Amino acid sequence: MNLLLVLQNILAIGVPFSVALLLAALGEMFNQRAGVFNLGCEGIMAMGAFLGFLPSFLLKGGALAPWAPAIGIACAALAGVLLGLLFGLVTVSFRAPQGIAGIGLQMLGWGTAGTLSRHFVGGVTGIPGIDAWPIPGLSKIPFLGPILFSMTPFGYFGFLMVPISWYVLFKTPWGLKVRAVGTHPRAADTMGTNVARTRYQALMLGGAMAGLAGAYLSLAQAKMFADDIVAGRGFIAVALVYFGRWHPLYILGGSLLFSIAQSFQLAIQVLGIDFPYEFAVMLPYVLVILVLAFAKNSRLRGPAELGKPYNREKRV
Amino acid sequence: MKKYVFALIAACLVLGTAVAAPKAKVKIALIIESTVDDKGWGQAMHDAIVAVQKKYGASLIEYGYSEKMKPVDAGSAARQYVAKGYDIVIGHGAQFKNLILEMADEFPKTTFAFGTSGEIGPKNVFTYMPESEETGYINGVIAGLVTKTNIIGVVGPVDGGDAARYNRGFVLGAKASNPKAEVKVAHTGSFGDFVKAAELAHTFVKGGADVLTGSAQQALGALRAVAEYKDKPIWWLGQDTAQLAIPESYKVIAAASYDYAAVIEQLIDKRQAGTLGGQSLPLTFKNGGFVYEFNDKVGPVLSAAVRKAAEKAKADITAGALAINWKDVKY
Repeated sequence: MNLLLVLQNILAIGVPFSVALLLAALGEMFNQRAGVFNLGCEGIMAMGAFLGFLPSFLLKGGALAPWAPAIGIACAALAGVLLGLLFGLVTVSFRAPQGIAGIGLQMLGWGTAGTLSRHFVGGVTGIPGIDAWPIPGLSKIPFLGPILFSMTPFGYFGFLMVPISWYVLFKTPWGLKVRAVGTHPRAADTMGTNVARTRYQALMLGGAMAGLAGAYLSLAQAKMFADDIVAGRGFIAVALVYFGRWHPLYILGGSLLFSIAQSFQLAIQVLGIDFPYEFAVMLPYVLVILVLAFAKNSRLRGPAELGKPYNREKRV
Repeated sequence: MKKYVFALIAACLVLGTAVAAPKAKVKIALIIESTVDDKGWGQAMHDAIVAVQKKYGASLIEYGYSEKMKPVDAGSAARQYVAKGYDIVIGHGAQFKNLILEMADEFPKTTFAFGTSGEIGPKNVFTYMPESEETGYINGVIAGLVTKTNIIGVVGPVDGGDAARYNRGFVLGAKASNPKAEVKVAHTGSFGDFVKAAELAHTFVKGGADVLTGSAQQALGALRAVAEYKDKPIWWLGQDTAQLAIPESYKVIAAASYDYAAVIEQLIDKRQAGTLGGQSLPLTFKNGGFVYEFNDKVGPVLSAAVRKAAEKAKADITAGALAINWKDVKY
């Protein structure tokens, strides 16, 4: 057995599979940095997956077919923005409990995507999706080439979002506002920042990224749509935000760790290593729980006002 | 004359599934966690009930179904069906076992059924179990003959129920036709995670496998992944004939399917004969519980020799000349 080749295969499969988690978790990071945790991420991903898929299905074989993935990506992002707005209306304007509202959004997104799929598609059907674009030259680098430079353009975009998110969050005035309304909304309000508007903006951005994460699943990974395509990844993305301490780089690390652990456990089975598969499939989840449990003081680094609706009229 | 009468009775006993048309109207309800058009698990049972309804007419068979039912929600649906006078209530999936047993105790005059399960339930509960090692064996025979790398991959959902039987039958079939073949079995741990099934299929292919198979809904994700190796000789053997009618079918050499009509007819027949349950009904090639189809569109990979070997295996299984000791397989 060539161990280096085995390792390369594990990474070459695990790294692209981390993109959906990464996009969703980065979006959720913006939500949470602004003080709102959105458990509806799973539902937004389901809608994104469906709307990302639908144009490719409807335009299959037509003149617009080459543009279908791009149209799908735009539709998925737009759906995410709209669902983010809806979540903002419920949790920011109406100040509903965020946890319950998030579960409601999750069910709304999942149910709507499934119902629309049944109406417009009928059953589980494949689409051409987005093919890998190996970068000339770089993809030939021994070992690293097939892992880092043989992904789909959507995959490269996902990793590009890490420095972009870092820059937006830590180097722009808007990023400062987002962090301020999540940490001390009253102080931000006093300084002239519109807390509600900033939270709405963060939720729309987070929604768009969750929608894109869903579209990545249906367009670049499975190349099909089914009701359960998201399969809990939205909730894992929420956990990865805590895991990554609300920082894009650590979230990248968490997404990679989870996906590579997933790929590793599949490789364990495929290699025929004598290890009960029931434990193997649990491995990535156990790993995340362990890191969360042992990451001391991680909660202290989180946005202080996370989950608390802001009411400027309320006395403190 | 006596000789012929005995022969006829004996034939009926051997077949064991010869059923007559219902004597009176039967109301059948189906409760499923997926949908009736899921191109897999739910649709197979739905299509079977519709086929039986078509055979005997809507005046004799009344049919109702509830989709997307989680076990916790299914109780209210089952109660409504019983209240509406449904005779047979089927919870299609082993996850409905507890619910069905609870309902059966409460409504002893209604026939309940759930599967896949080989358990013998209370006197008003039938179970049904596809003996899918039979279809697995035939697919395995083909896989063993077709593989060039001698590495074959099985994308399983969980190691239980009919999936476990299918996988083990597949291993036996592949080993029978090609003792050098190495059959690797892995599980996603989920019936519906298409993305993980695709990831597993890619892992198999990168590990050298050139023939793959898989069962349950999630298998479509694996087939979609196989279809990505468009110009490479990577092949798929299906456990659902619906896979022969989708765009990815150019990778599917052959596929088997469950035909639950045999189970439905037996449920009706036994109930009308006064047996409300207490039995497990198998699905086999012999009782018409399986359908097997080849896909000529795949070209030379489905050679005459491969087809002949598969057909022989099927004939031997149907005639009872081939014992598949699936329980002996360890992986």
